[in-house]
Amino acid sequence: MKLLTRISINYIAFSFIAFVIGGIFFSNVIRTIFYAQIDDNLRTEKLLIEEQINYSDSLPDFRLVFGHLIEVTVFNAPRKAREAIKDTLLFDKSTSELVPYRQLIAKNTSLQKRGYLIRICMPLGETDRLITTIIIALTLLFLVLLALLIYVNYFISRSVWNPFYRTLESLTQYDISQTTPLILHNTKISEFKQLNKTLDQMSKKLQQDYRSLKEFNENASHEIQTPLAIIKSKLELLIQNEALKEDEMRIINSVYEATNRMSRLNQGLLLISKIDNNQFPVAEKINLQQLIEKNLEHFEELIALKKLKVTVALSEMIEPEMNRTLAEILISNLLSNAIRHNVEEGNITVRLEAGQLIISNTGHALTSAPDELFERFRKSDRNSESAGLGLAIVKRILNIYHFPIVYTVNGQIHQMKLSFR
Amino acid sequence: MKILLIEDEKELCRSIETYLKQENYLCESALTFGDALEKVSMYVYDCIVVDITLPDGNGLDIIRAMKENKTETGIIIISAKNSLDDKIIGLDIGADDYLTKPFHLSELNARIKSIIRRRNFGGSNEIILNEIHILPDQMQVMIDGNEIILTKKEFDLLIFFISNQNRVLTKEAIAEHLWGEEMDMADSFDFIYTHIKNLRKKMLEKGGHDYINTIYGMGYKFVIE
Repeated sequence: MKLLTRISINYIAFSFIAFVIGGIFFSNVIRTIFYAQIDDNLRTEKLLIEEQINYSDSLPDFRLVFGHLIEVTVFNAPRKAREAIKDTLLFDKSTSELVPYRQLIAKNTSLQKRGYLIRICMPLGETDRLITTIIIALTLLFLVLLALLIYVNYFISRSVWNPFYRTLESLTQYDISQTTPLILHNTKISEFKQLNKTLDQMSKKLQQDYRSLKEFNENASHEIQTPLAIIKSKLELLIQNEALKEDEMRIINSVYEATNRMSRLNQGLLLISKIDNNQFPVAEKINLQQLIEKNLEHFEELIALKKLKVTVALSEMIEPEMNRTLAEILISNLLSNAIRHNVEEGNITVRLEAGQLIISNTGHALTSAPDELFERFRKSDRNSESAGLGLAIVKRILNIYHFPIVYTVNGQIHQMKLSFR
Repeated sequence: MKILLIEDEKELCRSIETYLKQENYLCESALTFGDALEKVSMYVYDCIVVDITLPDGNGLDIIRAMKENKTETGIIIISAKNSLDDKIIGLDIGADDYLTKPFHLSELNARIKSIIRRRNFGGSNEIILNEIHILPDQMQVMIDGNEIILTKKEFDLLIFFISNQNRVLTKEAIAEHLWGEEMDMADSFDFIYTHIKNLRKKMLEKGGHDYINTIYGMGYKFVIE
């Protein structure tokens, strides 16, 4: 849910509750005022009637005078003084229905010692209609006001939150692996200022750490190379010793093999950090067809050894702009991957079509998700000899040029699809 | 044969020196740029092996200085940087070959031999070893005058063996020599065996000796008594 939507919804909800409560309260207040007015009128009329009874000892016919019902009943015996006002329903003959009335009943004894009872009924229809009209008018007014307020609130919120949205956009576009710093716009609101300041500091720290990490990787790989070279050279000198016995030679051989493996690993890591550090900037048009053919020739013996059947369809001309060294590593890694993880007498298909390079090969089913194999040191455990860097390098190279790669496994068929568009 | 080794890493320098001295080369070494520049200006070498990254200068400048003096010395660059640019610049200013660290001593030895051979025989270079007679430029191999037909890999293998005769050549060194660095070693060991078997068979068929010995799973040795 968007922030502004959320604010508006909350605003509307609270306004509605306030309106309902306020409305009930308001209508009650109005009703009370009107009823007080009616009751006053009733009492005034009652006083007038009482005056007439006391001073003229006669009963005028009030029935039609005030447009409402007045009844006076006179008794010979005196009555106790009593007065009550209440709502009641009376039957209206003309419409044949019950109609609400406000009714005053007063009993008393006149000066002539005669008891009397006065009953005055005022129709409430008019008053109720008036109250309803007032409430409807007020409701409408309130709704218009509410709509206006929500509208204004929306625009105010939008302009208040604008710096936040701009910061958010800058953050979305920020890429730590790029050299461009995080650019945040100035704002006058102190909270956003603080937010931007914090983000700015964080991004600078991140970038610095990221850079030093990358540098560390490269430096470490570089520094490891020299001791490795020394170990290798000393071992090579050592094995020239004719006096070495077979078991000694086997031990040295193990050390030598491990050293070589470490050396290859280190070279892979060095290559990755070089790619990450953008040390292959020069790009040129690469003829993929030629490159693939050259590599297949290079792997000829490996293919023959595994008795693989290679099918190529390279008629489409695809010439991506890439660094030559990286393009060679890319193709070499992909093809050697397709060969190495293949099965005896398996198949490899290499196709160039619709701006894509598609390499599919038979192989063992994967134990992990295909995409995970693009991570460093991830390998399908069947071939532990490899360093697990080949596909990581492929991914890094493709990342530079924003060429997508999709690795799918369908049973025994593995497929790499690279798009050069 | 006089060789100058310019390498700032002392232990590596000593290893290379030891290996080359066993080949009966006269081997001198320089650990710094200054020392190296002094040596190349004072003495004449058949071949120099120069590291590009030296603490007090760039190895490429030594090559430039030598080329100004119209030297005939063979030059091999060794560098930790696996960078194409260095390679191109190096070969452009007159180096004969380029090796990336870490390399096999046997590989360096073979490269030095190849350069010296080319320089000393001025094109008509040939290798004669007992009954074996090789014309490297024509890729021709004869045993007692009978030509044997070798594949490119078998031929390279033979030259590599002869350059490092009486030395143990590890499988890794052979694999790297034949297929380059990018080939995963473990894959290539099987082919090495095949190539060596074929080479040995072809040479024996024409009456050659069996020079190639296997060394306990470590590698092979071309033994000349």
